[in-house]
Amino acid sequence: MTALQQAGLILLIAVGLAGATAAVHPKRPPFLVPPRDSNEVTLAQTKPWAGNILWVDARSESEFASEHIPDAVCLNFENWNEQFPKFLDRYNPGQRVVVYCSATSCQLSREIAAKLKSSGVDETYFLEGGWEAWKQQNRP
Amino acid sequence: MSTVNQSIASRPILRIGRWLLRVAIAALFLFAAITKLIDPSSFAQQIANYQLTPWLATAVLSVFLPALELCVGISLLLGRWESGALVWVAILLTIFSGALLSAIVRGLSIDCGCFGRSIENTGTLWPLIRNLVLLAVTGFLWFSRDKK
Repeated sequence: MTALQQAGLILLIAVGLAGATAAVHPKRPPFLVPPRDSNEVTLAQTKPWAGNILWVDARSESEFASEHIPDAVCLNFENWNEQFPKFLDRYNPGQRVVVYCSATSCQLSREIAAKLKSSGVDETYFLEGGWEAWKQQNRP
Repeated sequence: MSTVNQSIASRPILRIGRWLLRVAIAALFLFAAITKLIDPSSFAQQIANYQLTPWLATAVLSVFLPALELCVGISLLLGRWESGALVWVAILLTIFSGALLSAIVRGLSIDCGCFGRSIENTGTLWPLIRNLVLLAVTGFLWFSRDKK
């Protein structure tokens, strides 16, 4: 049997095994809808935290300068080294940190939240819908 | 490359070394497969962190990749269909390395996910280097294999 024929047989067995896993494994993933991240919060969920939230804006500095959630801190990968110490100055232990970026399609808030968590800021979340969601609910 | 093959056939110490390398790769793939098969849902989230595939493909990969790793690991361990298994080892390591490299280039602060949740905080650079070493080992196993 050639190497390619062997590889083909291995593939067939693997497909069968994967199918069985997808059908019966108790911890199989949902195939059609992605599971909700436990660190993702809606604006409604953040309401009871009022007064104890530090908002983190993960968008670019120019977008932050243009408009942002009041009292938010600008923090993204490009300015991390300069802005992280400023973030720490503003952060009080026990405070909840909610990171946002532009909209639902933007992944930066998730990544910045993960980076903050790995830096020891445990109560870190990211906002569903990001800045667009906040703006929609806080229109004058 | 037939000289590599002849040289290994004539020297028992090299034959043992080759056997050890094959079993080591088999053990690594079996460990990787089992740690992912314990919790495919969690592995799917780790694949999603790479932001390379839509969710449906991510979910399919989360059950397919460990299944393929398991088959490859068993094949290498038993020494059956070794050539075919080595083809898959090379393909998988190349794909994994590409994904790791793209995460590094995009500045993603994510975990490799190479061994599910059993080994975390590995980052992406060291797993990439490890994969390149494993690719070199796979190349050695390929060119020194018994072609019967």
